[in-house]
Amino acid sequence: MPQSQRKYEDVKVGDALGPQELFLSKEQVRAYARTTGMWVPRFTDDEGARKEGLPGMITPGNMSLALLSKLVTDWLGSSDARLVRVGTTYRQPVLPDHTIILQGFVTHTNDADRTADMDIWIENEEAERLVIGTATVQFGKS
Amino acid sequence: MSTVLDLHSHSEASEDSRAPLEAYLNWLKLRRSERPVDGIVLTEHRQFNKNADYRALEDRFGILVLKASEVETDYGHMLVFGVTDEMTRRFDFADVHLPAQLFIDEIARMGGIVVPCHPGRPHVGLFEHYANRPPLENVVAVEVYNGGSRKGEDERSLELARRFGYRQIGGSDSHLVSLIGLCATRFEAEVRSIEDLVNELKRGAYEPVDFRPRRKPVQPAVAVEVK
Amino acid sequence: MVDYDPALIGRVFEVTDPVPVTAEMIRDFCRATGETSPLFVDEEAAKRGPYGSIVAPPSFAVTFRNGRQFFEHIPRFGRQGFDAGKDVEFVAPIRPGDKITLSSHVKEIYEKTGRTGSMVFVVVRSTLKNQNDEIVAHVDHRFMNRP
Repeated sequence: MPQSQRKYEDVKVGDALGPQELFLSKEQVRAYARTTGMWVPRFTDDEGARKEGLPGMITPGNMSLALLSKLVTDWLGSSDARLVRVGTTYRQPVLPDHTIILQGFVTHTNDADRTADMDIWIENEEAERLVIGTATVQFGKS
Repeated sequence: MSTVLDLHSHSEASEDSRAPLEAYLNWLKLRRSERPVDGIVLTEHRQFNKNADYRALEDRFGILVLKASEVETDYGHMLVFGVTDEMTRRFDFADVHLPAQLFIDEIARMGGIVVPCHPGRPHVGLFEHYANRPPLENVVAVEVYNGGSRKGEDERSLELARRFGYRQIGGSDSHLVSLIGLCATRFEAEVRSIEDLVNELKRGAYEPVDFRPRRKPVQPAVAVEVK
Repeated sequence: MVDYDPALIGRVFEVTDPVPVTAEMIRDFCRATGETSPLFVDEEAAKRGPYGSIVAPPSFAVTFRNGRQFFEHIPRFGRQGFDAGKDVEFVAPIRPGDKITLSSHVKEIYEKTGRTGSMVFVVVRSTLKNQNDEIVAHVDHRFMNRP
């Protein structure tokens, strides 16, 4: 488990988060749906999802948001920084039983607040961005 | 002297973007070697920000910033360059069903130009509408490289442009800081103002340019049943 | 243009009963998201960390309503609804033993067109508070409806 001690002073615009490659299994998506009370066909069952006009069972947006938040908190490691904001847009369904790539870049730093903004997204195997978002992290006072 | 402009971008003034203009310009400065863009055009969704003044940021980064708009018509989404008060009085830019032919003709009469964007995209692109209805008249150019395109969409856009003899532009359609400048348009002439841009789009020489990196697709993994 | 009663905007339409958060819920959430950070999964290490105990990963905050139980009283337009995105402000950590209450209002309604046709967006803002009446998060849910 990567437990960096990232410091505000070391963060630069252009720094990369990830890429993390992740094989997202149907079992994992079902586990998420089960524990968060999202147990509906759209997220648990190919046949049921197809009845709703979807290509098969899809990953809940909330789970994509969770994976992208984790990309950021992994990057922060055990530093004194905190994820204070995340925003996501779900552009295309994230289909389980595929490899997804989680990636991000630091896009802005603010010395006065000791915050950093970043772009974050999930790509599929075809390099299409399925979920895009941004996040802000707040570092402790030096 | 030629000019490379990203003709399609959304800053945080658009409801679905969180990218501040300053961060866009800083990113372009950092990535200049990969994305040699001289300026960007903010094409905010369904609005025109008449009073926004970006001169201080332009000077600080040495990057041209122009203002335009992206509207929604009965033939899909379109970029509008050279927006005036007369145009925003004549049409409600927030209307998502603007009548495309009337809009194109009226904007041209009032001195601007309308360029359909991502024409190869389902529903919001010209291509799909042309399958069922007569083609529009007085279309000068369409966007053929769009940074947000999915597989096959740019190809359809190019096919349409060739079939109808439309001229071609490119734009990133960026909603994220790090995606600015991925597609753009190279003008033979120098472009320094929105008037220059409208003139060049109508009469000048230009071509779309594509700075998107080609990532090798990830090998699809094989599903393993978890017992 | 989309028709709705402007009085909807800003009016709180729902305040939930408190939802108890258990250590088990946090553990299951961490398993399902592949979370391994000691801050969220290791009781001993978390004690020495900045929060003094295990806390939920930040994104746990979006699992209340649109998760666990869906909103019952939001305005709907047309047939199907989809989650189009979220904007979340994490104010304070959620801990095992917390009881979370959500208060929700419609922030915005707007229309646009996309690859799949016409869409009406309804933005619902929920404010999450714990049993000490401290705000733990603001969640803006962007729901997309097809008219």
